[in-house]
Amino acid sequence: MSSHATTDTGHDAHHDDHHHDPGFIRKWIFSTDHKIIGLQYGITALLFLAFGFYLMMVMRWSIAYPHQPLPEWMSWVFTDGWKARWLQDGKVTGETYNMFGAMHGTIMVFLGIVPLGFGAFGNYVTPLQIGAPDMAFPRLNMASYWIYLLGGLIMCGSFFLESGSAKSGWTNYSPLAGFADGQIVNQWLAGQTQWLVGLVFLITSSLLGSVNFITTIINLRVRGMTWMRMPFFVWAMLVTAFLLLLAFPPLEAAGIMQLMDRVAHSSFFMPSGLFTKSEGLADLSGGGSPLLFQHLFWFLGHPEVYVLLLPAFACVAEIIPANTRKPLWGYKSMVYSVLALGFLSFVVWAHHMYMTGMGAAVSTFFQTTTVLISVPSVVIITALLISLWGGSIRFTPPMMWACAFIPMFGIGGLTGLPLAFNLADLHLHDTYYVIGHFHYVVAPGILFGFFAGILHWYPKFTGRYMSKTLNHLHFWPSLVCMNLIFFPMLVQGMAGFHRRWYNGGDAYLEKAADGVNVFGQTVAQHIDLNIIMSMGAWTLALFQIPFIINLFTAWKVGKKVENDNPWNATTLEWATPTPPGHGNFLKEPVTYRGPYEYSREDCEDDFLPQWSAPRRLDPAIAPGGTESKPVAHS
Amino acid sequence: MEIPYLVTPRKDTGLFNSKIAIWLFLASEVMLFGGFFSAYVFLRLGADYPWPERTLPVLPGLINTFVLIGSSVTVVFAWASLKLRNWRNFQIYMGITVFCAVVFMVFKGIEYNVKFHHQAVRLKDYTVIEGHLGYEKEGEQYVLDHKGNRVEENLIFIEASKLTFNTVRFHKPWVDELLGQAEHRKAKIVLAEDVSAVTEEGKAPTVIAKAGELFSNDLLGRIQKEHLAARSHNGQERTDALRAEWVKAKADNPGKKGWQIASTVNIDAAALAPKLLTEISTVSFNVEPATKFEFKPRDIKEADGQSRLRDDTVVDGKLLASPMVFHHVDAIDFQHLAMKAEAKGLDPMQAIENSWLIQNSPFAKAAWTWHKGEVAKLEKKLLDGYGLGDDKKPRRVPTHKEMYRIGWKDLGAKAESEGGVKLSWMDKTKEEFLGPNYDARGEATFPGFSVPREQVGFAAKFTPAWNTYYALYFTMTGLHGLHVIGGALVLAYYLFFGRKMYLENPEWLANRVEIGGLFWHFVDLVWIFVFPIFYLM
Repeated sequence: MSSHATTDTGHDAHHDDHHHDPGFIRKWIFSTDHKIIGLQYGITALLFLAFGFYLMMVMRWSIAYPHQPLPEWMSWVFTDGWKARWLQDGKVTGETYNMFGAMHGTIMVFLGIVPLGFGAFGNYVTPLQIGAPDMAFPRLNMASYWIYLLGGLIMCGSFFLESGSAKSGWTNYSPLAGFADGQIVNQWLAGQTQWLVGLVFLITSSLLGSVNFITTIINLRVRGMTWMRMPFFVWAMLVTAFLLLLAFPPLEAAGIMQLMDRVAHSSFFMPSGLFTKSEGLADLSGGGSPLLFQHLFWFLGHPEVYVLLLPAFACVAEIIPANTRKPLWGYKSMVYSVLALGFLSFVVWAHHMYMTGMGAAVSTFFQTTTVLISVPSVVIITALLISLWGGSIRFTPPMMWACAFIPMFGIGGLTGLPLAFNLADLHLHDTYYVIGHFHYVVAPGILFGFFAGILHWYPKFTGRYMSKTLNHLHFWPSLVCMNLIFFPMLVQGMAGFHRRWYNGGDAYLEKAADGVNVFGQTVAQHIDLNIIMSMGAWTLALFQIPFIINLFTAWKVGKKVENDNPWNATTLEWATPTPPGHGNFLKEPVTYRGPYEYSREDCEDDFLPQWSAPRRLDPAIAPGGTESKPVAHS
Repeated sequence: MEIPYLVTPRKDTGLFNSKIAIWLFLASEVMLFGGFFSAYVFLRLGADYPWPERTLPVLPGLINTFVLIGSSVTVVFAWASLKLRNWRNFQIYMGITVFCAVVFMVFKGIEYNVKFHHQAVRLKDYTVIEGHLGYEKEGEQYVLDHKGNRVEENLIFIEASKLTFNTVRFHKPWVDELLGQAEHRKAKIVLAEDVSAVTEEGKAPTVIAKAGELFSNDLLGRIQKEHLAARSHNGQERTDALRAEWVKAKADNPGKKGWQIASTVNIDAAALAPKLLTEISTVSFNVEPATKFEFKPRDIKEADGQSRLRDDTVVDGKLLASPMVFHHVDAIDFQHLAMKAEAKGLDPMQAIENSWLIQNSPFAKAAWTWHKGEVAKLEKKLLDGYGLGDDKKPRRVPTHKEMYRIGWKDLGAKAESEGGVKLSWMDKTKEEFLGPNYDARGEATFPGFSVPREQVGFAAKFTPAWNTYYALYFTMTGLHGLHVIGGALVLAYYLFFGRKMYLENPEWLANRVEIGGLFWHFVDLVWIFVFPIFYLM
């Protein structure tokens, strides 16, 4: 192995036949290279995440201090005109809160986490790990990114419309969402409609992406890369792609139907005899079903949770073996679990709908499947945990995040169990307990996994390490703040705090608690947690600054990597030059063994990369026969 | 490294890249249309109105079915021709395929067009009347509006004397529309009184617009600009004032929590007043003289005296009688009424006799009497044909639709039985395609009728708005139509621009046509499901 990092600058003979400088625009903006597209996805997604975070900071102000004007360190972002329209004497109004809430959820899920996990990590790492020169359809890949960006901009652009952006929650339930912004004459210029239009773009983007991923994984695996030699990362991406491919279209159907309800005044989701304060008796035919929307939405909505989660699992599953110097424990059971997880995630959707009155039989069915799906999740998280056992753990920056991922995701997962049972859910439904549960999964869980991934692969795409000091400054406060924000939510939720109170329950304190004002007592007990949580959120924002600095400065001033495989890892992405050029590999690699051959006693180092050819005189082939000649297939 | 398996299949999977991709794409499409088919089942099973069964003319749909199946065959021939390296045959077969797609879309367009002009109204007692609207029939001509369009809309008329606009929310196209209507009827819209406002802090008010100024988008825009500037300024002032109050309140109440002192923290309005600018949130115009304006029902909440448009414009004036005037009525449908009556435990026949329509329209009464006779004949025929069952009841009885709906075919049969016009073979065929043929059958079969506004429950053209059946019909066939157009464009591209690739790499072109053909088969398959659920079931 070379002791210096190689760079692919195009002088290599292999590339001579199409060596040309593509120019800045072709190289960085309209690139068809999966690695550049991955970076584009990553940067865009991080920007959207920051924006979604900002919306949440404003909401947290409204919850903690509902009667006080938004302070200038948050409100300077808005123009005076915007503030005059959406803030009342500087205070956040209920309508504005709803708008921010709906968009926070939408942005974080559809524009932040999915593009970061699937779009960025998936795009960058998957082709490298299977030894492919690029995605199967590079131009489709580019289209996928641009359509995603367009969809995101359409959604977020609606903040500047007279109607404001969507405001019916990220779930966009009809008939509420069907009526919202009804006063706008040209419905195409209503935020609620643009949300749907943006959504159709996002679904198109993820359709192109998932088709591309699956084709790439099926057909572009390099010689010797059999199914069971694929890194867990690739398996997770394969399942994620299938979830996107099959779960998103029913939501697209629902989105189109809701769009028809809005612009063509149909009644897909509008029941007969609908009466609202603003519209009176609706001038609609009626005869539709609000429940239908919920079914179609959650048919996507639940698999979507695994679309968020699996890429984080994927990152952590790569980082743990590389830093414990020990094979991933139970690779095969993890693979089968992830497949089971993918399948089961299609039959649990209605556990979001226990309160809709679907009927006991239906609820029981979905309760059963929901409890079932926790089995493969627990198998995976347990395998990751056991992988630490007996390893010689190196606490590298990515490893710190990966280690924090396990307990944080654990809390998120376990707090989900009471929600799976419809008896317990009757009490917890729509409370802050639910918010606490899924934010534990997504924020300190999935996001920590992604931070780990960024730190882990950063040396590959820049040739430099990120700063350890800045990482400490980022990691420890983040870990503390995350728990400060989300743990009190579980407490408040059990006390009955509703997730959509824009004033944090303050309204229940105006009158003494009595038989009518049943919340008065519990609200008074727990309302002060609001301030702790909000302080936590703003502090968390502050401590993301070291990460941002680290991300951009390490590019130029970070410590240079010593060779192409700085973590001494085994998977194929570390066989490429640093950073990999267009076409990825200098010479087509061959895979000789499984992905996690660490702690090998039969070689100089403690690991055997997948691409390292077996030497005839090596003392022994590993017991269990994972070593083999490449499987010929082409 | 080049991307492998673009043209040749990989050995162990047996597939080239794009073939995997198209199957995945089709799987996704199955889920998309699956979502719609599920919605169809869900909405049909849960419908609280009589689901329109076999309501569309079958012939155009049936022809389209065969056209599409035919094109699926020819696209395979086109692919086979490429495999045999026969460019001429490829051109012929692909040409036929694309031509079939065009025929399909033309038929579709005709079907859509007929429905977009066909009006339906559900009265408050759930009687449904179908036909065509036409206002103020003058001679044989329809009345034209100020843009020269034929008026066949459901409209509400108001004799307006004053219009008050919300300076933020007014809708520019509506302003132009109101101007057009006023001009058409030779009226003027002028500013009611001077608009003056404080536009700079501490200064005296200035006049922005003078009374009598003519109404226009420009004038409203000018006032809007001042209003928005004032709103921004005032918002900032009020925010600063409230911040100051909070600082003071916190200093005065150490140790108290925000929510405990919130009710005591208020802006001192008197102290703030001199700093504020004038916000002109509404502006009024007089209509001279008071003139009739027409509005679409969806745009206005009408009332005698003061009505309000969707963009918050207030219209002062007298609500005029705004009946829905049918040029022709081509169906009278009591199914919904009967369903509601049965749900209440009433006798549906009696409920129909008592309905407003039977009470007020001699034609409807005559048609219903005649229809009852036809139903009795049908009952007898079914009894003679199928006899009694084991429970001593007839094995077959007329369906709900046969009993309670007097469709255009029934009205035609009634007119013929009473010595009315008999249609030629050509005219009959036309009817099979397009529905009722007014020109040939005339007034006697499909008379005009006027429905007073207060009887109207819900009215719509036969668009997605009319009911969930039509909503599904238009959405699903529309989406299918988009797939037909998309597929045809791709196939046409191979046909007209494929020659170069054929000469360079014919196998690659064949692969592409194969992919396109697979998609085309899928589009055909969707239609095979769509056709029966909307046309036959």
